[in-house]
Amino acid sequence: MKNYGVNDYYNYMNNNYNQPLYNQQSFNNMNKVNSKLFDPYVGFISGNMFPDLYNAYKLSNPLEIEPMNEQAELLTSIDALCFACIDLNLYLDLYPEDKSAIELFNKYRVQKEKYEKEYERKYGPLFISSDALNTFPWAWDNSPWPWQNK
Amino acid sequence: MFLYEKKLEYPVNIRKKDLKMAKYLMSQYGGPDGELAASLRYMNQRYSMPDDKGRALLTDIACEELNHIEIIAAMIHQLVNGASIDELEKAGLGGHFVQHDHGLFPTDANGVPWTSAYIETTGDYIADIESDMAAEQRARATYEHLMDLTNDKDVLGPLSFLRQREVVHYQRFKELRNYYLEKKI
Repeated sequence: MKNYGVNDYYNYMNNNYNQPLYNQQSFNNMNKVNSKLFDPYVGFISGNMFPDLYNAYKLSNPLEIEPMNEQAELLTSIDALCFACIDLNLYLDLYPEDKSAIELFNKYRVQKEKYEKEYERKYGPLFISSDALNTFPWAWDNSPWPWQNK
Repeated sequence: MFLYEKKLEYPVNIRKKDLKMAKYLMSQYGGPDGELAASLRYMNQRYSMPDDKGRALLTDIACEELNHIEIIAAMIHQLVNGASIDELEKAGLGGHFVQHDHGLFPTDANGVPWTSAYIETTGDYIADIESDMAAEQRARATYEHLMDLTNDKDVLGPLSFLRQREVVHYQRFKELRNYYLEKKI
């Protein structure tokens, strides 16, 4: 088993995607707005970290991401953690005193940064502030650009 | 300020050319309830928000809508990539070809150019947030219509993600509106 990626992501990809959707992470919310959250990968493919807010249309289950190579797999792990941070960010803007949500945000943020550094070391910069830009020739230009078919 | 992250918020890898779907997707690029209008609407309205909760939420949702412009643009680009003039004409994109070739240009699904009239800013934060709630619902409905028109999973994945984001944004705007009404700010 490769040792990069969000742990839960690989569990879902390899073992138990039969009933994963409501395998929720414990989330002791002081405000009691939402007591449980999806894990980052399930939240990401659902477009929503908050099971209470989730609202399906047409698809009985969210579609899986199907990475075509190791680079895309690592990027999927980053995408999932990045999404978890985006959705928790919006929530925290309105509930800035929810301590457990702040802790969860920072847990995912730190994990995300770890995978981003690994990605940039292997495949080049994601950010213009990256250490991976200390190269010759200039590495920022290199494909793939995000809108290109992989 | 803004810095680019060299990735999409949700990946787009469309294998099958579909020019009709590309034309329909323009509704969410340069249409009245599209992502460009949404991003600039919140970006302009944030200056009228009365406290830090509102300033933060509108800034952060405006940024996420920028991500969504990029997702829709990537989808349209991949759906028309390599299409012949004949194929574009048959899909109703002959006029688009004359003016923009295979390039992107923000119009709605009928070719009507994007206009700043889509940005609803009154300077009244309750009026603005309630129009944002309505805009998120209209965008959700539009995404449902788009999902009705395809069974290609490469297209449905991003559309389903984008639709769900409208559901979440609507909820957050509603919570902000209710908070302001209760606090009587």
